[in-house]
Amino acid sequence: MPGMDMPEFSGEILDELSRRNTLRVDTPVIQPAEPFLDMAGEDLRRRIFLTESEKGESLCLRPEFTIPVCRRHIETATGTPKRYVYLGQVFRQRRDGPNEFFQAGIEDLGDPDTAAADARAIDDALAVLRRVLPGQALSVTLGDQQVFEAVVAALGLPRGWQKRLVHAFGNTQGLEALLDSLVNPRPVRGLDARVAGLLATGDEAALVAHIDHVMQETGYSTNASRSPADIARRLREKLALAAASLPEHSFNLLKQFLALDVPLREASAVLGAFAEKAGLELDGALTSFERRVAALAETGADLDAVTWRAAFGRPLDYYTGLVFEITGKERGAVLAGGGRFDRLMTLLGAQDHIPAVGFSLWLDRIEAARSGA
Amino acid sequence: MITIALPSKGRMKDDASNVFAKAGLKIVAVGNDRSYRGRIEGRDDIEIAFLSASEIARELGNGTVDFGVTGEDLVREGLPDADARVEFCARLGFGHADVVVAVPEIWLDVDSMADLGDVAADFRSRHGRRLTIATKYWRLTQQYFSGSHGIQLYRIVESLGATEGAPAAGQADIIVDITSTGSTLKANHLKILSDGVIVRSEACLVRARKPAHDADSTVAEIINAVSGALQG
Repeated sequence: MPGMDMPEFSGEILDELSRRNTLRVDTPVIQPAEPFLDMAGEDLRRRIFLTESEKGESLCLRPEFTIPVCRRHIETATGTPKRYVYLGQVFRQRRDGPNEFFQAGIEDLGDPDTAAADARAIDDALAVLRRVLPGQALSVTLGDQQVFEAVVAALGLPRGWQKRLVHAFGNTQGLEALLDSLVNPRPVRGLDARVAGLLATGDEAALVAHIDHVMQETGYSTNASRSPADIARRLREKLALAAASLPEHSFNLLKQFLALDVPLREASAVLGAFAEKAGLELDGALTSFERRVAALAETGADLDAVTWRAAFGRPLDYYTGLVFEITGKERGAVLAGGGRFDRLMTLLGAQDHIPAVGFSLWLDRIEAARSGA
Repeated sequence: MITIALPSKGRMKDDASNVFAKAGLKIVAVGNDRSYRGRIEGRDDIEIAFLSASEIARELGNGTVDFGVTGEDLVREGLPDADARVEFCARLGFGHADVVVAVPEIWLDVDSMADLGDVAADFRSRHGRRLTIATKYWRLTQQYFSGSHGIQLYRIVESLGATEGAPAAGQADIIVDITSTGSTLKANHLKILSDGVIVRSEACLVRARKPAHDADSTVAEIINAVSGALQG
């Protein structure tokens, strides 16, 4: 049965990973479900194996290692920087593939030199894959949410639109639909005369007071959920946005940007040219981007085998910068995937901000690549 | 023997009985009025099982009954990949109710699922927790939010009783619930989003997809009789 036994090349993977200044850790297979659901939302619920403790606490079989390893780091209260290595089974309901399969990877926590840490993550993943898939061509695709955020900000778009665009980044269909809706915004509907009047006067305090009054009257607590101030603020923002539509020029620039798909060797130049032609100030993001490219070149990576795709991202809110995937040439199956997740540690309860980057290797797909290729 | 599961009580029981009577399949109880078993008058090849609406959906999914009369909402909620497992043979014209996304009326800035997406995206940074939805309809909610509208960042709390009271009670921020007249929602100061109707449900004659049905003339007869009765 596939996925039942530890792959025979696991020893080689661990050997390669352990040479890279790492500490091997393990985590319980049975985990509290809450952190996973909290981070990834209800969408994950269908895909993980849930159960309950005797006391009614929601538990699951670990669907991945990143959250358990990071929680373990916080619980053991050790310092940073730390580089953790893991190898073990994870459990997920998948469309393609068995429900239990092996993953291995590194979580790199607390290195302030993010460019170097990003490059190292890609280099580490490539090194392991080269070891267990000798002679096979590998291609790396990377994306960077920070660059997209910089473009959106540089276009001078209203904050409300910036937030929506950044939130949709990584979800191709969603982003396209959003762009279309920004070109043709719908008018704000459903406001009664009283509220419309208050909005027209621009008196925010009066609007907040009105909302507060209605909440009290109808029995809503003003601090259990959205507050009167929240609602008023977003309503005014919504009204302002409905009066505007995304200028065709900005729409075209965004489309142009999202279509960029070039070897990393040319990426900085292409990005710089785009910025200059568009008249966009991207200096900060460009510098960070170039530093990472330089760091990657220093690891000896072949910058022609790495592609930067401007639209590539992950639609989870704790992925903040680099994302990457490594595929085998023929099959197109993703053999390794990783990225930077700077917000996760804080969301999991860490007191300090801890920059974090990591990757996972899909051992079942590597196994298939070894036998089938 | 073909088994048909029918609602065991209430309006749905009477309405189902009427439709079958019009179809020339008069239902008689076996035993007393409260019995869970029944049959069709003059037929010994069809048996009736009186079950609750949600039990009917489950038994259809298991294939332990051949037909059932129950709400479309319960079938789509209870069975993943419903259309592959069962066939909706006829929409019976009663038991109308919509499964809807409803938010507090006072959320003046939220009129559409896109607005809700915005609010959900921001929610954690503003409130330290994810947007919470009270509902019994886990599957329909997930399919609608995550599948159709790309909203991933929310939590569902199971609502066992009066779902419409959850937001005011502070148990959840919004709800997904079934509504017919909308009066309960209004009474609880909730409004339906402009694109917030997930399913327009009504009672349906539902058939469990079983290979044996293809060769069974009684199965075809039941479908034709009920469909014919609806047109009259």
